[in-house]
Amino acid sequence: MGVILQHLMKPELTAEEAARGRFVSGIRAFILNDLAGDLRTAYDKRAAPAFARDKGRPPETSNEAHQALRGDPAFNIYSAMRVQAQKMVWHASGDVVARDIERLEAEAVKVANQPGSVKLNPDLDIPRNVDAIEVHLMPGSYTRGGESLEAGAVYDQGLAVFSMGLMGANLDDIGLSMAAYVKGKFPDFKPQSILDTGCTIGHNTLPWKQTYPDAKVEAIDAAAGGLRYASARAKMQGQDVNFAQMSADALDYPDDSFDLVFSSMFLHELSKKARAAAFEEAYRVLKPGGLLLHMELPPNDQMNAFDGFYLDWDSWYNSEPFYKGYRDESPPALCEAGGFGPDDYFQFVVPSIGIYGEEAVAQAIADEGANAVDSETTGRLAEGIMWFGFGAWKR
Amino acid sequence: MSADTQNPGPAFKPDDTPKEIYGPDGKPQFFDDPGMDRYVAVVMNMAQEMWVQEERLMALEGLEASAADREAKLKEFIDRIFAPLREQGSDDI
Repeated sequence: MGVILQHLMKPELTAEEAARGRFVSGIRAFILNDLAGDLRTAYDKRAAPAFARDKGRPPETSNEAHQALRGDPAFNIYSAMRVQAQKMVWHASGDVVARDIERLEAEAVKVANQPGSVKLNPDLDIPRNVDAIEVHLMPGSYTRGGESLEAGAVYDQGLAVFSMGLMGANLDDIGLSMAAYVKGKFPDFKPQSILDTGCTIGHNTLPWKQTYPDAKVEAIDAAAGGLRYASARAKMQGQDVNFAQMSADALDYPDDSFDLVFSSMFLHELSKKARAAAFEEAYRVLKPGGLLLHMELPPNDQMNAFDGFYLDWDSWYNSEPFYKGYRDESPPALCEAGGFGPDDYFQFVVPSIGIYGEEAVAQAIADEGANAVDSETTGRLAEGIMWFGFGAWKR
Repeated sequence: MSADTQNPGPAFKPDDTPKEIYGPDGKPQFFDDPGMDRYVAVVMNMAQEMWVQEERLMALEGLEASAADREAKLKEFIDRIFAPLREQGSDDI
C-alpha cells in the first residue's frame, strides 16, 4: 500500500507524514474496491431498474448510467469520499514537497552532468489543458512552481500514494507492461529512436530505455518543472533520456524521426482538437514502418453503460474534463484520421506485469482472445488491473 | 466542451453535463444538503488523524509491524470505521 520511490528525490518522511500517506492509499483502496463494488450492486439493484421502469429499457450509455445513479446513496458516498480522497492525495504530497524542495533541488544538481538532457522552451505557449485546469484536482496543476522541481515532485509523490502500489515501485508498471508486450509481440521490431509524448515525470518513459537500451529515447511535455524533475529522476536511475518542452500537437522534430511514438494516460487530457493534431504529428514524425502506441482507458463503445460511466466519472468529478470526450471517440478512427491505414490498427489488453508477471504478459501476447476489453478490469485502478493499449503501424 | 456561464460548475466540463451536479460554489455536490459533502470530508480527515495516532501507539508500545502487517491493520481499521457505509452494513451501526 503506497510505494517507496526508487531515487534520491524520494521524500524523507516523518513518521506522521508516512502514516498520513498510508492512510490515503488505504482509504482509496477501500473506495475503489469495496465502495465501487457497492456502487455496482446499487446500480444493478436500484438505479438501473428504476431507470428501466421510467424509460422502458435499461441504461444504454455512460450518460444514462450517470443519470440513473445520481442521488443513489451508494453513488453519493462513493463519489463524495473519492473526491475527498483525491484532495488528501495532494495534501499528503504537497506539504512534504514544500518542506523538502531545497533538498530535492540539491539532489538534482548532483546528477546534472550525468548522461541525458533537458531542453526547456520558455517561449512555448502552455496549452490550457496543462495550466488552466487543476487536472485531477492537483493544486497548481502541472505548472505549479514554474521551472522548479515542485510540480514534478508533487506528482511523483502523489502518484506513489494514489496508485496504492498498483503502478509499481518506480510508478512504471504501465511502461513496463506495454514495452514487454511490444517486445514479445513484435520480436523483429527493434526501435532505434523512441518518443514518449506527454511524459510528465518520465515514469513510463524509462521502461522503453530499459527494454531497448540501444535506442535513443526522447520524451516531451509542455510543463517545464515536470521535465526538469523527469530529467533528474532519470539520471539518478542511470537512464539516458533526452527531455524537451514542447506540445504533442506541434512537435519540433523533422518528418520521419522516430521508430516508435508512445504515450500513456495522456490522450484523455487533450482537447478533441489537440488530440487530432497529436495523431497527425505522431504520423508525421514516425518513420515508415514505425509504430504508434498509446496506453489509455478503453473507449466507451467497447464497454457497457455502467463500466463506461465508472471511468467517465472523472470527467465531472475529478477535474478531467476531456476524459469523456476522449472515451467517446474511437481509437481506430483516431488513428485513421491521423493518417494511419485502417488495416494497420491494432489493440490489446495486457495484464500488469508487476502484479501478474512476465508469464501472464506472454500468455496475453499468445492469446488473441485476451485482447477483448473486460468492462470490470480493463483500465480500472483496482484489484485485477489490466492495461489497454492501441496503436497502428505506419506503412 | 461546454463553457456555459449560467452553470456554476467548472470552466471546462463535458458537453451535456447535467446542471444539477455542481453546488452554488461550482464544486461537485452529491448530497441534497451541501453540508453533508463537507461532513464526509471531516470524517475522512478525522479517520486519518486517528490512524496517525494508531501508528504512533504501535511505535510507542514497541509493536512496530512489518509493512504487510501494518497494511492489514490499516484495512481492518478502515473497514471497522466505515462499515456502516457498506451496502450490507447499514444495519450494523
